[in-house]
Amino acid sequence: MNVIEIKNLTKTYGKARGITDINFNVEEGEIFGFIGPNGAGKSTTIRTLLSLIYPTSGSATIFGKDCIKFAPEIKKEIGYLPSEVFYYDNMKVKDLLKYSASFYKKDCSKRIKELADIMDLDLNKKIDDLSLGNKKKVGIVQGLLHEPKLIILDEPTSGLDPLMQQKFFELLEEENKKGATILFSSHILSEVQRLCNRVAIIKEGKIVTVEKISTLKENNYKKFKVETKVPLDQNYFQIDGVSNLTGKGNVTSFLFRGDINAVLRKVAEIEITNLWIEEPDLEEIFLHYYEKEAK
Amino acid sequence: MNIYLRELKSHRKSLIIWCIGVFLMVVSGMQKFAGLSSSGQSLNDLFQDMPKSLQVVMGVGALDMDKVSGYYGMLFIYLLLMATIHAAMLGATIIAKEERDKTSEFLFVKPVSRAKIITAKLLAAFTNIFIFTLVTWGSSIVIVGKYADGESVNGDIAITMMGMFILQLLFMAIGSSISALKRKPKKAASLASGILLLTFVLSVVIDLNGSIEFLKFVTPFKYFEAKNIMYGGGLDTVYVLISAVLFITLLTVTLIYYKKKDLNI
Repeated sequence: MNVIEIKNLTKTYGKARGITDINFNVEEGEIFGFIGPNGAGKSTTIRTLLSLIYPTSGSATIFGKDCIKFAPEIKKEIGYLPSEVFYYDNMKVKDLLKYSASFYKKDCSKRIKELADIMDLDLNKKIDDLSLGNKKKVGIVQGLLHEPKLIILDEPTSGLDPLMQQKFFELLEEENKKGATILFSSHILSEVQRLCNRVAIIKEGKIVTVEKISTLKENNYKKFKVETKVPLDQNYFQIDGVSNLTGKGNVTSFLFRGDINAVLRKVAEIEITNLWIEEPDLEEIFLHYYEKEAK
Repeated sequence: MNIYLRELKSHRKSLIIWCIGVFLMVVSGMQKFAGLSSSGQSLNDLFQDMPKSLQVVMGVGALDMDKVSGYYGMLFIYLLLMATIHAAMLGATIIAKEERDKTSEFLFVKPVSRAKIITAKLLAAFTNIFIFTLVTWGSSIVIVGKYADGESVNGDIAITMMGMFILQLLFMAIGSSISALKRKPKKAASLASGILLLTFVLSVVIDLNGSIEFLKFVTPFKYFEAKNIMYGGGLDTVYVLISAVLFITLLTVTLIYYKKKDLNI
């Protein structure tokens, strides 16, 4: 079953920003990554799903229901963490969380305590006095306190230290095991790679591809690094299937996809001092996607 | 209900300050009356010697300044200005502040419809305004009564306060509708007070220049003027109806436009 279905979603603001013809589905129980550089349209898509803004055309359903028509009903089961957290300043953390909980018809006090313990958050502080990272923690607790079935996270890790990030990811994995579906937007690939099953890549308001993380990595890309005695002619490895070709002194590196024998034959023809052939990480594949599009 | 209570709490401090302000306004205003009238000179004569335009600007008009009720009628304009500025700014900010403080990504992802959020907020604003009116009313009765010297003033105070309350609601609705209509609502409060001052100045200009009398329907400050509603004049049904229609229209505009609006995050 699909928890989120997005059909031809388009949102234009005047001319400049926006999203065009977004299509993808998020299946129940998966952790879905949504990656793209800043300003690509991740937040716009998410805000449209949450009916904070309305689409110019197209539609989206959450739990099988139209995300605008049934917004209040759907939102009972959504937990949302915005990329920048802002709260009513003159409130204590405790009061804000209680206020947040008062919108859901269940007792969340126990869960608030649990989450605050995990995230190491002081409930008695005033929100004004919190650092960015601590505000983010309030956001995390606030988004999870009602045990939502769908968790939407918009660049959730900014401001968290590595230890907290780790705890936060563990928390998410736990929620996921309990059955929650997670939509995770980020521009940091390593965290998406670590956490997600599938990923949609967005660029300039358009979805470039939706793939399984494993497929993306298995896409037969190999990362080559060749060290030679003398600097190589820049174009020596310019054959079919080569991309990201860069030369730095005696070291030439590139990504390759295709018949590996073709490259090895080229390698055999020159005098080399060292050779590395590795699996590329997602970041490199991702850059590759972008450059291909740009051409 | 939770939103309503939250709003009451967050506006409590400012309401207290406004109430103290209006109380001090009544006290200091009436002290002037005591000072002036005890000098032995007739206040009427004093004001008669002023140029006509100055009299109009001060709101003296046809009021009998030797009586405490007449003096109160003049003071009323300042109370009215204060009350309507409070109402217009409150109406604008109570809606606009979520976008201004960037808290809309908190509130509007909760399982409540926008219509319910706006209704709760408007009810909270209404409550604030009502309390402000009661405080003004109470302070007027107590303080003016002290200088009444046997003259019965409570009826006149009551009718002016009713007129004031209607205008407060009207300006609250003007403020809230501006918040809903403007794409970037940060400036909603200043725009609302701008409109308020403009209509106030217009009302003074109308008094100065009889030939634009027909514009009196445009400015709410002409609806319930002390000199017309006191001394048994009462609230003019036509103006009460105009106010009611405007109020309902503006509230509807607020609700409809806020529901359709892309929140400015």
